[in-house]
Amino acid sequence: MAHSLPLPIQLVWLIPLYGFSGMVLSLPWASGWIKRNGPRPAAYLNLLLTLVAVLHGSLIIREVLALGPQHLEIPWFQAGDLDLLIGFDLSLTNLAALELVTFMSLLCQVFALGYLDKEWSLARFYALVGFFEGAMAGVVLSSNLFMSYFLLEMLTLSTYLLVGFWYAQPLVVTAARDAFLTKRVGDVLLLMALVALSSWAGSLEFSDLYRWIDTAQLAPLPATLLGLGLIAGPMGKCAQFPMHLWLDEAMEGPNPASILRNSAVVTCGALVLLKLMPLLRLSPVAIDVLLVVGTISALGGALVAIAQVDLKRTFSYGTTSYLGLVFLAIALQKPLLALLLLFAHGLAKALLFMSVGSVIATTNCQDLTELGGLGSRMPATTTAYLVAAAGLTGLFPLGCFWCFGWMVDTFRAGHPMLAGVVLLTNTLTAFNLVRVFRKVFLDKPHPKTRRSPEVNWLMALPMVSLAVLVLLSPLVIERIDPFLAIPSFSTSSTMLVVGSGLVGVLTGCLVQLDAFWSRSLFRPLGMLQDLLAYDFYTERIYKATIVAFVAGLARLTNSVDRVLVNGLVNRIGSASLASAEGLKLGVSGQLQSYVLTLVAAIIMLLASLAWLKG
Amino acid sequence: MLSLLLLIPFLGAFVLLLSPSNPPPGRMRAIAITTLALQLLWSLRVLLAFDPHQGGMQLQDSLSWVPMIGLDYRLGIDGLSLPLVLMNGALTLVSAVCTRDISQRPRIYFALLLLISGAVNGAFLAENLLLFFLFYELELIPLWLLISIWGGTERAYAATKFLIFTAISGVLILGAFLGLALFTGTVDFSLTPIVSERLSMGSQLVLLVSLLIGFGIKIPLVPFHTWLPDAHTQASSPVSVLLAGVLLKLGTYGLLRFCLGLFPQAWALVAPWLAIWAAVSVLYGSLAAIAQRDMKRMVAYSSVGHMGMILLAAAAATPVSLLGAVFQMVSHGLISALLFLLVGIVYRKTGTRDLEVLRGLLNPERGLPFTGTLMILGVMASAGLPGMAGFISEFLVFRGSIGVFPLATLLCMLGSGLTAVYFLLLVNRAYFGRMAITPPSEDPSADARLDIRLSGVALRETLPALGISLAVVGLGLVPAGLGWLSETTATAMAELPALLLAASHGGLG
Repeated sequence: MAHSLPLPIQLVWLIPLYGFSGMVLSLPWASGWIKRNGPRPAAYLNLLLTLVAVLHGSLIIREVLALGPQHLEIPWFQAGDLDLLIGFDLSLTNLAALELVTFMSLLCQVFALGYLDKEWSLARFYALVGFFEGAMAGVVLSSNLFMSYFLLEMLTLSTYLLVGFWYAQPLVVTAARDAFLTKRVGDVLLLMALVALSSWAGSLEFSDLYRWIDTAQLAPLPATLLGLGLIAGPMGKCAQFPMHLWLDEAMEGPNPASILRNSAVVTCGALVLLKLMPLLRLSPVAIDVLLVVGTISALGGALVAIAQVDLKRTFSYGTTSYLGLVFLAIALQKPLLALLLLFAHGLAKALLFMSVGSVIATTNCQDLTELGGLGSRMPATTTAYLVAAAGLTGLFPLGCFWCFGWMVDTFRAGHPMLAGVVLLTNTLTAFNLVRVFRKVFLDKPHPKTRRSPEVNWLMALPMVSLAVLVLLSPLVIERIDPFLAIPSFSTSSTMLVVGSGLVGVLTGCLVQLDAFWSRSLFRPLGMLQDLLAYDFYTERIYKATIVAFVAGLARLTNSVDRVLVNGLVNRIGSASLASAEGLKLGVSGQLQSYVLTLVAAIIMLLASLAWLKG
Repeated sequence: MLSLLLLIPFLGAFVLLLSPSNPPPGRMRAIAITTLALQLLWSLRVLLAFDPHQGGMQLQDSLSWVPMIGLDYRLGIDGLSLPLVLMNGALTLVSAVCTRDISQRPRIYFALLLLISGAVNGAFLAENLLLFFLFYELELIPLWLLISIWGGTERAYAATKFLIFTAISGVLILGAFLGLALFTGTVDFSLTPIVSERLSMGSQLVLLVSLLIGFGIKIPLVPFHTWLPDAHTQASSPVSVLLAGVLLKLGTYGLLRFCLGLFPQAWALVAPWLAIWAAVSVLYGSLAAIAQRDMKRMVAYSSVGHMGMILLAAAAATPVSLLGAVFQMVSHGLISALLFLLVGIVYRKTGTRDLEVLRGLLNPERGLPFTGTLMILGVMASAGLPGMAGFISEFLVFRGSIGVFPLATLLCMLGSGLTAVYFLLLVNRAYFGRMAITPPSEDPSADARLDIRLSGVALRETLPALGISLAVVGLGLVPAGLGWLSETTATAMAELPALLLAASHGGLG
């Protein structure tokens, strides 16, 4: 059957390999074997391979539109009752996600050429981005949980390496550590669920798992644990509460990687959760947890974002917040809604981070309190910011407006509280975007922003093209509407969404920025500011609880090891030495007594043996 | 055919020991490397002749030696021992290649290395209990000498501790083998599984426990592990490679071959306890590793943790878990050898392994960037990141065991998660940050050295580590090769208890 398929589909396994081979090809420059002509060739190679990946992906989309969804698999490892496959599901959703991922990667790599212009180890950056892209492309296409897990872990590793790109800086060291460990906690829990599923269901193909779930007879406890394990991995990947800590710290990494992380990587994590969604029916607890986590992340993320003074961190909390909404949609079994939100958010957030990156590249500053007056100096960046902000809020008819309208309309009937969560998130996000806009682009110029020209074309080009794409998103949504089937939502829902956005924008316009920055003298408000600015003290809570617990346990084990186990051994040793010293003095030196002792011992030994046998 | 695997290294050792005059150390190293390369080539030849679809022993060499006491010279190979023989060949070669500028008694050093390699081959190939024991003991004294002559400052303590522990292990194993003869009243030391008709369950349990403790010391399992960190920290890095990569595998090999293979019925009885023991061992090793400051000690404790997983796999004794045990032996051998090599490079260049002292070694111009890169790869492999050998091994172990011992498996997975914690701390402390070497002192700001410039690492120094890294990645990406070699044997071993049960009830007709 496979032979009758068109060539682009047969060669689908190449798509993840483009990214990985980009990494391998960059190694000679990254490791300094080739020093002539600088590291640029590695960047060009990666760009070329990513371009090929985008084109290959679009070819496959054309074929799939003609032939319908396809499934390809390659055996990887087989032993006993275990059969692990490399499988690709070529459905339109997966392919659209693939195009999002590869296209974003392409834009980011062009952007990075400008942003990291003077970076010493540019080749290493491109090698890591290639690795990143390969893993993401594989995750979105994979047709089984094993391969998804495999690549998600690779994503964890490459996140660690990308966050730790400037490894000599102290903040980067902790950021890379937290990024890895937080995700790893989620991954280990996911692995537990994966191993259990593999043992119970036999196959790890998503389609087989969906069939298995219909007939599965699981006791409530294993089912609940399974469900919780399955959502833990995506929770870590999507930086959801309480595993959201790493995303804002990860902003210490280079900005082009942050663009990818806030748009494409979180999308990958959510897509895995989407593919697992039918399995969650097993466990009502997991669904409830998903709802709670989504709500807390959506509102908490939006609130914490408002209190941040770091340009990148404030928007990274926004990512946590939007992914919380995606989690809500998934918990309520609305896959298409979740997908649309992922796409709309991914595009707009990437644009936002490009604009922010331009600001940082020009001013070498990402502290909101030191920025101002860039609006007239950097027109393209300002436009990009405005377009991205419009795309993110439910006020103008760009991407997220349709998602919010759809969400509010569907949630209103059954879950009015959740509709409220969506609206409140919209308000808070709009407020935050306006606040930052006023501060960075409208405020009077500060010393660091006085001489700030527009960015070079390598950064401007991807930024402007993405801005156009975001502006065109209503048209795209219209094109794919037959596939999504967005219900036409009522006027009242529209009014609610627009109203909530307007409230956010208005309060954002009206709020006193100068007074806002200085800590409020009104004590409760000051404490609230601190609470949000320090992210609900999550880091301190972790330090005081789980980190202290593990460290204490480790110290305890170590002291048991040193004092008890090793001490016992040493004491036996010294006791035998001491007894030998003592015995040495008690020896008479008479041969006869030695012989007597020997004979007596032999008799006793023989007697005891005879007694044992008899 | 298999006898050559013993003959080549032993002959090499004799040539070295008996060579007239006093050849320069370089030539002795060349002789040793040539011999070991020959041995590796011959093991590859054995690999070609090996038929992976047969479950039992193959390519047997047999010779009656001392029939009165049941000591036969019988060698055979199967899917369990073949990967280990290959790894022994490769890693001994690596440790000989890594031994440079040895000034003290090179002749004895290389001869002992060859002797160990041959003895380990013999232990993996022996098809007779007494023969196994002979080789098991034969490897012990050379290693003791390697630690106590070429070791660090506290080598006498570490070497003696190693000797006493391992000697007790040997005594227990010999006791069990002799006890077998005593209880059954025959001098049959072949590898036939013992069924309850031949021996009562009580006696089987006594013998099994004695064997378990014997091999448990060698693996090592908590609480018999305390010789390992000391031995590793005092041994030179080639010896550490050998110890972690090859010699510890004797313990797990014995666990599978003699405990599970000889007493399948008694094994099934104690398996739940063994699973708990495994979980304790894994968690204990991982937690103790977190608290270590010495990189080598940390890697040594991680060995305790990772070897515990093999006990879990053996306790579960399903086809997948036993295959996982073989995988874990190979991948632990490769990964820990890699880590010890890299720590050795760091120690040679900086003079310390203390995590409180070292900072920022990844520095591209003045530090050890390439060693650091390989180190990141090594620790990630050890932490079980996919794409490298550690992941597929642990996955197979967990997947094979979870159906039998869910709780113990979950605890072991927790331990595997802790691996990421301590190894990440290692990389973060020693390799990230601003480069500095800060010896512990009253006034760190004054004594810290920020202006260090470490001498560059030549390619030939990292070449062995690079080779092992490629093997680690290769095994992680294409595990099917090793699976193909060992699957039939693992399945046969897993089905042993059921087969025996059926046979004793006449089910096989």
